[in-house]
Amino acid sequence: MSGPAKSTFADRLLGRVRLRGPVVLVAPILAIVFAGLITSIVLLITGDPPLDTLLLMVEYGTRPRSIVLTLNSATYYYLSALAVAIGFRMNLFNIGVDGQYRLAALVAAAVGGAVTLPAPLHVALIIFVAMVVGAGWASIAGLLKVRRGVSEVISTIMLNAIATALGAWLLNKDRFAVEVSGSNNIGTKPIGASGQVPGLELIPGTTSKVFGLIILAIAMGILYHVLINKTRFGFDLRATGRSESAAVASGVNVKRMVLIAMMLSGAMAGLVGMPQLLGASYSYSLDFPTGLGFIGIAIALLGRNNPVGIAFGALLWAFLDTSSNILQLHEISPDIVQIMQGTIVLSVIVAYELVHRYQISAGQRRVSRQLASATPTQAEGASA
Amino acid sequence: MANRDVSLSVWQGHVHAIVGENGAGKSTLMKILYGMQRPDEGEIRVNGTAVTFRTPGDAIAAGIGMVHQHFMLADNLTVLENVVLGSEPRKGGVALDFGAARKKIIQISDSYGLGLDPDVTVEDLGVGARQRVEILKVLYRGARILILDEPTAVLVPHEVEELFANLRELVREGLTIIFISHKLDEVLSVADAITVIRRGTTVASVVPKDVTARQLAELMVGSELPSPETRESTVTDVVAVSVRGLSVQSPEGRSIVDGVDFDIRKGEVLGIAGVEGNGQAELVEAVMGMRVAGGEIRLGEHDISAWPTLRRREAGIGYIPEDRHRQGLLLEAPLWENRILGHQTRRPNVRGFWIDRAGARKDTQRIVEEYDVRTPGIDVDASALSGGNQQKLIIGREMSGDPVFLIASHPTRGVDVGAQAAIWDHLRAARAAGLAVLLISADLDELIGLSDTLKVLLRGRIVADVDPRNVTPEQLGSAMTGAGEAA
Repeated sequence: MSGPAKSTFADRLLGRVRLRGPVVLVAPILAIVFAGLITSIVLLITGDPPLDTLLLMVEYGTRPRSIVLTLNSATYYYLSALAVAIGFRMNLFNIGVDGQYRLAALVAAAVGGAVTLPAPLHVALIIFVAMVVGAGWASIAGLLKVRRGVSEVISTIMLNAIATALGAWLLNKDRFAVEVSGSNNIGTKPIGASGQVPGLELIPGTTSKVFGLIILAIAMGILYHVLINKTRFGFDLRATGRSESAAVASGVNVKRMVLIAMMLSGAMAGLVGMPQLLGASYSYSLDFPTGLGFIGIAIALLGRNNPVGIAFGALLWAFLDTSSNILQLHEISPDIVQIMQGTIVLSVIVAYELVHRYQISAGQRRVSRQLASATPTQAEGASA
Repeated sequence: MANRDVSLSVWQGHVHAIVGENGAGKSTLMKILYGMQRPDEGEIRVNGTAVTFRTPGDAIAAGIGMVHQHFMLADNLTVLENVVLGSEPRKGGVALDFGAARKKIIQISDSYGLGLDPDVTVEDLGVGARQRVEILKVLYRGARILILDEPTAVLVPHEVEELFANLRELVREGLTIIFISHKLDEVLSVADAITVIRRGTTVASVVPKDVTARQLAELMVGSELPSPETRESTVTDVVAVSVRGLSVQSPEGRSIVDGVDFDIRKGEVLGIAGVEGNGQAELVEAVMGMRVAGGEIRLGEHDISAWPTLRRREAGIGYIPEDRHRQGLLLEAPLWENRILGHQTRRPNVRGFWIDRAGARKDTQRIVEEYDVRTPGIDVDASALSGGNQQKLIIGREMSGDPVFLIASHPTRGVDVGAQAAIWDHLRAARAAGLAVLLISADLDELIGLSDTLKVLLRGRIVADVDPRNVTPEQLGSAMTGAGEAA
């Protein structure tokens, strides 16, 4: 058969297929507009004025203090989505980012609270511990897949539950935890000043500070781009994601790649809790944010595993989160924002898919046409 | 293009066989007839009325049913449940009317001699019986025309006999059967009419009593094809590749490749002939290090048996895989990234840890020009090229980086005549340049024409050495089935 095999929907969903041209922008914008429409309908049904509500959110969301909150949430959303994206690029579904970052943050917080070092070393040690714990926890799923053929989807989900239990066991006054003064909360011993990362006064008009580790997130985005697109390792990783059989034939050791990619994903997941830990709470306590790993999955899909796309996705998600805070004051359910977030993810996926199908057939027609006009007498041509 | 200008007339009450090589376009034709794929142009008529099938549902409504090569049955359900699945008989709107279905199944089974008990679970049935369940499934849906896609591929000989008896029973009752196969003896024994497909088009319609298996084979392969002959010998006496006692086992412990020995000298093409599925693919994968194997493989001075695939490639093994879409290309990646595949540790593609984009692109441009890959540019995805051009790109890539040993697995499968001649030229050039070439092919003319030495592989063993200078395709063909003596 000379007909080209098609990429699967999953390939496109996970961004293993490149998209070009205006579609990269048109599809998500259309999707956001569509999500806005759906949200408006829901608002109408609940009896709230759609336009006023959306304007209220925009007005509140663009206040200086809200922008700081948005940037801060976007920082950890971004890291979380990058962690998921590393796996996605080679067909690995690391659903376990959630467990990996929570366990990593807990252990890193305990280590950070137990030692005192000169400032840069102290911060570096905490981050290093977090990455090692994240990678180690993810490597369990990697090893299970490589040695026993266990689907990483199943094992990482189960490891999330185990991480929760392990975290609860560790966060106990017999082990890592101390009482948080002035509350009945418990948490790890607070990290000293040398282990804290000061915030940045980026946004004028407010005293709130942006997480200093936003710089780490940006650096990780650049590193991700360089690693995936410019290096031999990245080529092997992408090749494995696109076609495992072709990667094997080309000499890629797929099992080794699975393990390394899983550990890289886990190391990145280890960073997810760091902006919050080193920039705000300085201790891992019972109210440390949870569920960031799952939001990362949605944002990685939204950004099609592209570092810039993910950044926009993270900012959008964080903006919606922040601006939903105003709704309650106006007696509108903030859950409306979750409906909007869900609709955006679904409609972005559908929009990309539709445009992709159009592009593929247009591309093949173009190649046939160009060849037909260049070599009119040849029997050989592109397949239609 | 998988099919063009296909015309086919099937008479009611006939077993009509469609024969052709792998990749000739049989399956595409069947998909069109069964509504799984839509033709770009042309017309299908059933009993004189023109029909258009958008989905298999339309085909079923027109009385056409398909029995797939791979069974689509739920093992833990009974025959009855499997048969009604998807078209369950209703009683009073919601309830299932199993009683009526059972009656109908027993009636169909009896009138066509299928001998099936509706209440047995499918997992307790043998392969032949499962196939009859598939046939029952389409009959139950009212099919009067049955398409059987390589039905004998999964059967042992006595099951084949039973199947043919069933088929004769079905046509006696006025049903029509379209039977796809490339096993010529079976086709000649069961068919009332035969259509030959080659390179996507119908080349002949014949009646079994008028043709011999040999004539049919010639029609399938096409004797007017450009000859793959090699001229003067370039064989040297330096052994480049030496394989001893190569063995591969299936996960169940069955021997797939069994103690294969061969030497290939520089400038020599060693052809491996064999009916597909006799261990060729596993042999190649073992030599490439993609599959666990016993025995010894030497490349020049080195024992490479324990080397991983990448190291074997770096040592100078070029590999044209049998399935270029699965193993040879990243279809959704541009040509220049495909140039890197399999050469991702070598210049000009990489510089140390980094991908050398400029170097890879420049060299891709060279391959496109030297190997006449017809493409608008090196940034188009590999999927946009035709099979022949994809294959030329792969050959150009595998000939880069000074290979000493080239494995060519079905190098001209599914490519058109023009590309085929070009690919043969490239293989001859490789041989003249002193490469050792291992050629696996199902095209006997190609094997005889290109090879300096021929070995026949049957059930994983080398059963015959053949001199390609004085063997005919017929002699080779009978050696491949283990039937006759090789020349």
